[in-house]
This record gives sequence, C-alpha cells and structure tokens, in this order.
Amino acid sequence: MCAKNVPKGTYPTGKSRMPKDSVLFDKVIPASLIFMGILTVVLILFAAGVLLGIVQF
Amino acid sequence: MTINHLLPFISTAIMLYFTFSVLQRYYVRRAPHFLFWGIGLAMFGAGSFAEAYLALGWNRWIFFVWYLFGAALNAAWIGHGTLTLLVRKRWVKVMTVVLVVGSLFAGYLMLTTMPNLDTSIFTTDKLISEQYGTKVLEPGETVPDGAQTITTTYRGEQVTAVRGLLPLGSPVRLTTPFFNIYGLLTLVGGAIWSAYLFWRKRVLPNRVIGNVLIAAGALLIGSASTLTRMGYGQFLYLGELFSAILMFIGFRFAARPQPEEVAQPVVAVAAD
Repeated sequence: MCAKNVPKGTYPTGKSRMPKDSVLFDKVIPASLIFMGILTVVLILFAAGVLLGIVQF
Repeated sequence: MTINHLLPFISTAIMLYFTFSVLQRYYVRRAPHFLFWGIGLAMFGAGSFAEAYLALGWNRWIFFVWYLFGAALNAAWIGHGTLTLLVRKRWVKVMTVVLVVGSLFAGYLMLTTMPNLDTSIFTTDKLISEQYGTKVLEPGETVPDGAQTITTTYRGEQVTAVRGLLPLGSPVRLTTPFFNIYGLLTLVGGAIWSAYLFWRKRVLPNRVIGNVLIAAGALLIGSASTLTRMGYGQFLYLGELFSAILMFIGFRFAARPQPEEVAQPVVAVAAD
C-alpha cells in the first residue's frame, strides 16, 4: 500500500514488514546470507575444478 | 536394514509430497516456475529413492536414474524454476532450450555408457556415491582401503585407477559439473539474492526466511554430496533428509499468502 493512499488518522501496521530491533533479521539473516554466499562460491569453484580436471574424484 | 538405510526412503516420501504440492500449484496457477520446481523436485525424489535402493541391491536402470536425475540434473531444474522469477522472459526461453537440450544430451550420453558399466565392483557395503566414479591415482597416492585398481591407457598414458561403475573418461561425467554449477548459481544464488532483496527493503519477512531455508537446504545436500565424493559419506543420508525438510519448510514459508497491510486507527496502535 502506498503511503499516499493511507487514510488520514490511520496507521499501517505492516504485518508483511520485518519487525524492528529483531536479532533474527538484524543479525542472523545477514550473517547467514554472507556465509551461504561464501559456501556457494566455494562449491562452484570445486565443481569448476572438477570440470577443468584440477580436482579429481 | 539399519536406520541409515531408512533415511533416504523418508527423504523420498517428503520429496514426493513436496513435488505433489508444487505441481498442484502449477495446475492451479499455470506459473512456469512451479512446473520447473516440480520437475526438479521429482528428479530429487527419484534420485533419493534410487540411492536408497542401491544401498540394498543392484539394478542398472536404478543406477541410470540415480546418476542422471540424482547426481546430474535435479539442482539445475529446481534452480531454473527460480531463474524464471528473476530474469526477463526472453532469457528464460533461451535457458529453457539450453536446459532441455542439455538434459536430453546428458540422457543420451548416459544411455551410451550403460553397456560399459563395470558392475563387478558394485557392493552394498559402500554408498553408491562412493563407488560410481573411476578415479586416476596420482603418483604417490595410496589406494583407499578395500578399493580395486586397474592399470589402463588413458589419454595416451598408462595410468592406475581406482575402479568405479562408470568407465574412465565417461563423457556423461563431464556434463555433471555444468548442471551442478548452473543449479548452484540459480537455486542457491537465486534464493540468496531474493532473500537479500526482501531483507534490504525490510518487507515480506516470510519470504526472507523461506528463501534462506531453501538456500540452506540446497547447500546442505551440495556440501554432503561433495563430502561423500571426498570419502566422507557418513553424512549423506542425513544431509539429504535435512535438505528435503529445510527446502520443504522454506517453500511453505515463501509461498504463504501475504497478509495485506491493514490500516488501523492510530489510537488502537497507540493503545497496544
């Protein structure tokens, strides 16, 4: 909902917005995204290594 | 039969239910990403089932299913579903053609390999992931315990290799990294990217959590498979099970209907 459409005297509770001051969304999620991003790159490099014959199994 | 033998059957059951629920959504909404996810998940389930079957006995066509769908194609097809949500339709069409042609080609290569499988080395004592590949031993490298070796000519050189079901230099094995890289980029990369976009805008927390769980599930099975191929196969079945559970919960989270932003009187909020 756009802000200009909010009727005067009302307040969007924003049930689909992230809660403020949440450890989950402020700390855990960003750390997980960074960690998973790094792990993805490592796995891609591993697969590329297999493709190029550098890693053998 | 041990609990370890049962785990892949449980993963298969979860994936079957997951596949059914995704394809049902495709049937209702006709959105292509549900179709690709459904096909990829069905492949994942077939691969899990084949893995479980091959822990109990040998069947060459079950091995065909395991390698083609379980080891090679499934991540790419699930990831392709995510890609359809993130890029322009024109690119989706191009990549769909590449994926379909590539999958058919991999299937053809696998079919041509089937008569040459070295089935005499198959054993139920080891995971199929630990015995499918023939691996050339580097000079000074020791032969793993219980492994059988063969001395043969490969690319003009005489080499000693640990015997595996797929013959040395099988072309189908060259296709697998392409599918897995594409699958990792689109499935995991796509989920991480989507989660990041929603997180940055501070909206749709259920989609953030859902995508994080999907990425975690996909990475879990990717890591477990990689560890298995490096000789640490004890985590594979558990990894598969947790991967299926995480992706299923993630999908349920992400696909949950979004609550509308409800306009409520300021007074009511202030009174909370």
